[in-house]
Amino acid sequence: MKRRDLLKSLAWSGAGIAAVSCRDQEEAARLVAESGDVDQRGLTWQKAPCRFCGTGCGVQVGVADGVVQAVRGDEASPVNKGLLCVKGYHLPGFLYGEDRLRYPMLRDGSNYRRISWDEALDLIASKFREALDAHGDRSVAMYGSGQWTVHDGYAASKFFRAGMGSNNVDPNARLCMASAVVGFMTQFKSDEPMGCYEDFEEGDDFILWGNNMAEMHPVLYSRILENKRKNPSVRIVDIATRRTPTTDYADMYVQFTPGSDLALANGILHLLVANGDVDEAFVRENVIFKRGNENIEEIGFGCWGPDGTSTNPADGPAERYGFGDTARNSSLEELERFLEDYSPARVSEISGVPVAQIRSLARMYGDQSRGTVSLWCMGVNQHSRGTWMNNLITDLHLLTGKISRPGSNPLSLTGQPSACGTVREVGTLAHRLPADMNVNVDAHRAIAEDIWNVPAGTINPRPGYHTMDMFRALARSDIKVMWIQVTNPWVTIPNLNRMISERPDDDDRFIIVSDIYPTPTTAMADLILPSAAWVEREGVFGNTERRTQHWNQMVPPPGEATEDAWQIIQVAKRMGYEHLFPWPEDNWHEPMYEEYREFTLGRGKDVAAYQQLRETPGMLWPVVDGKETRYRYAAGYDPYVQKSSGVHFYKAKDYGEKAAFWLRPYHRPAEVPDDEYPMWLTTGRTLEHWHTGSMTRRIPQLHQAVPQGYVEVNRADALDLGINEGSMVKVSSRRGTVDLPAMIDGRGRPPRGTVFVPFFDENRLINVLTLDAMDNLSKEPDYKKCAVRIELA
Amino acid sequence: MNRQRRLTLAVGSLLAVTACLSQPEQIEREIAASSAEVRAARRAYDGAPPVIPHDNLGTTCAECHDERGVNVPGLGYAPAQPHNETSGVGETARCRQCHVFAVTGAQFVGNSFVGVAQAPRSGARATDGAPPTMPHRLQMRENCVACHTGPAARTDIVSEHPERENCKQCHVEVAVTRSFVPPNTAGVE
Ligand code: SF4
Repeated sequence: MKRRDLLKSLAWSGAGIAAVSCRDQEEAARLVAESGDVDQRGLTWQKAPCRFCGTGCGVQVGVADGVVQAVRGDEASPVNKGLLCVKGYHLPGFLYGEDRLRYPMLRDGSNYRRISWDEALDLIASKFREALDAHGDRSVAMYGSGQWTVHDGYAASKFFRAGMGSNNVDPNARLCMASAVVGFMTQFKSDEPMGCYEDFEEGDDFILWGNNMAEMHPVLYSRILENKRKNPSVRIVDIATRRTPTTDYADMYVQFTPGSDLALANGILHLLVANGDVDEAFVRENVIFKRGNENIEEIGFGCWGPDGTSTNPADGPAERYGFGDTARNSSLEELERFLEDYSPARVSEISGVPVAQIRSLARMYGDQSRGTVSLWCMGVNQHSRGTWMNNLITDLHLLTGKISRPGSNPLSLTGQPSACGTVREVGTLAHRLPADMNVNVDAHRAIAEDIWNVPAGTINPRPGYHTMDMFRALARSDIKVMWIQVTNPWVTIPNLNRMISERPDDDDRFIIVSDIYPTPTTAMADLILPSAAWVEREGVFGNTERRTQHWNQMVPPPGEATEDAWQIIQVAKRMGYEHLFPWPEDNWHEPMYEEYREFTLGRGKDVAAYQQLRETPGMLWPVVDGKETRYRYAAGYDPYVQKSSGVHFYKAKDYGEKAAFWLRPYHRPAEVPDDEYPMWLTTGRTLEHWHTGSMTRRIPQLHQAVPQGYVEVNRADALDLGINEGSMVKVSSRRGTVDLPAMIDGRGRPPRGTVFVPFFDENRLINVLTLDAMDNLSKEPDYKKCAVRIELA
Repeated sequence: MNRQRRLTLAVGSLLAVTACLSQPEQIEREIAASSAEVRAARRAYDGAPPVIPHDNLGTTCAECHDERGVNVPGLGYAPAQPHNETSGVGETARCRQCHVFAVTGAQFVGNSFVGVAQAPRSGARATDGAPPTMPHRLQMRENCVACHTGPAARTDIVSEHPERENCKQCHVEVAVTRSFVPPNTAGVE
């Protein structure tokens, strides 16, 4: 109770049933005022963002005796207002698994032996140096993470680009939100959403595209449910390929055939045009039209033929898949002709969605009296046409002008805690620099070379390997030294059998893995480095809604564990790049961040000053004059907007400061069920486990709730095949087989012909089965669609 | 199916399973006396959401854990849920977003985490006979009567005057942390 509220309640308590004396009341008020930050159980409390998902909930962390002993939801955080999900509430346990990595360990035959940090760092430096000298900048690589802090990612990017002259740094976020990046970049020339979490209170209709929000962004779904509780007219539409806990609260469940969301979105656009629901004034003032390469025979799926552009598996596995697309200008008139192919009847035929539902969706998007928020995450991003699908969802908002307004926005959700902060903003993708800049643009390199104070020409203009090519290059031995931090690719890369799985005696590759626990990835390492996690080090994360959040180190890391950024800096110094990291050993977090911040200032990406991050529960960039921006591009909210009303897409200079509407057709998925493999396999997460479970499985309460992977089977399919709840089922694709216990009518309920398997279980690797098809523009793989067969094991 | 009927069905099927295990009175006594240890065993630390200590009964949680709690013959007293005044955790909330069943007792690997224990404590009184302050935060448990009244309440915290509904009129919350700790003042060894 706040003091003010207390006084208010005391003011009327005289009339209450339990009158207390004035003195008692004053004493009570004094006790309230004196309660400090150390509570009665001896805990000191400080803020940090949750370590797990991209929601970025604020937690208060309770520490005593150098140990995290409790957490609670931070009521001061605008993200979660005090609420967490079961993962967040059990955060402390993830630090204390008995098998924490404590010391650097070097492979020694089939064992590992402990070595000192000095030996480890010297060894990495010499391996990188040898590879660079003998094989050039393409032979070294860093595979990073959307769980890297801003400091980790910035150190890695600077070390590679400004030090070794290599752009071979790419993160696991490539597997996660690269399609959203390319989506926003192609439409606004600037990454990340215009809206923020306040859209959950401001919106009326929430359209979820392939997004099991109740399990994956639970605290955000709670915000929508709370809005719905207060405002019964609020509607939730769950557009999905299977029923989930999200469906239980939806007003409409729209089930579509995997991959046909492209057709469905075009069907809605068709009806918006047909119904006269195009906001013509908005479009005239703010939108241009574009069209790219739509020829499936030229694009392919990244997985077959030497260059990845084949659509035929008989052409063999792809070795490479490059960047590049062609684009041309289009128009509203051309769009109208283009959409003739997407009549409700035809879309219904492709997607299996009833015409009435397509019409309802079009009415929702077209209704100017209601705010519409589109939400999506992996279903749209992990899609062999993921960029197109991102474009189409935003197109729905551009055509209706329902964008950059409180309660009307396309709001792309992220999976990892700093996919936005570190990967997208710092620019740790193989072609990126901070603040929306690219390595292949001369002017951008010049800016970076200036801030980094390195000679012109230092930064390599050629993008490095994206994740999928990086692991193919490793398998070919084109990459000689790879450093992996904060991620677990030997569980997460699709079509795992294409990864190297054995290390021959004369292997000339050297793999370094920094992590906090042993994983299938550390098992592949030549050198394992123990890392400090979460509040064992200082850090900054950036969440889905552009909120940058800082936390202090609160407890010491175990053994000799160190933070990932420190490891990178030490190696860089040993390679002669001390000039890149000139800050004192005991105070480098703030100056490093402030240097990074220089990239962002004045570019509409202005992150908050470090001191302000310390003092607030995070700030939404762009932060100008110490004030955050809730709605980008919106007059009255965004200080960069030079208009008095409406929107201004000021970042899209090449588009005349307008947004681009992209015409994007329907393409079939790379692999569809046939006689031999008659079912769809879709994969994903589960509420209790985060990512590959290397942290959450070590938390007893979470492991005990969901101890192993499983396969969700439709009841009718189960009946046909003699499968019961818990039966062991053999799931096979053209690439591999895994046995899993069946779950029937559990939390997820796939339709006939579809099975779902979560990917967290390292003992039942579903990614042995998945296909390495990827988006032609973002190079993000599709984990949601391949063909399998199931039978009783 | 109406609520009563579903409940009867669920309880009925449960009775069939548990009939041979123990007498209803015995269970009720155990739950009524439920000690700090039982409370602690269900939580990772004091303040963590408890895990669900019974099997999935196939009903919705709120059928038993409503505003007052329900006496389920043969199973015991289902305590009221204390969140009905918590913003964002209303009647539409997903209980299992925070509370999970345990389907195994095994661990993936050992874990040495020891959560903070509930400190033996009681609220401070300004004078003899004055109403004590609340010795814990109200966050996530704004509904006082859920824990402090009814047959599921622990005897040491049961209210003597549950009929006076507005608890917060006389008892104030003191265990509050609101401000951020200023930078770099945390004691890191
Ligand atoms: S896992 Fe995500 S939703 Fe759950 S507490 Fe952490 S940030 Fe919030």
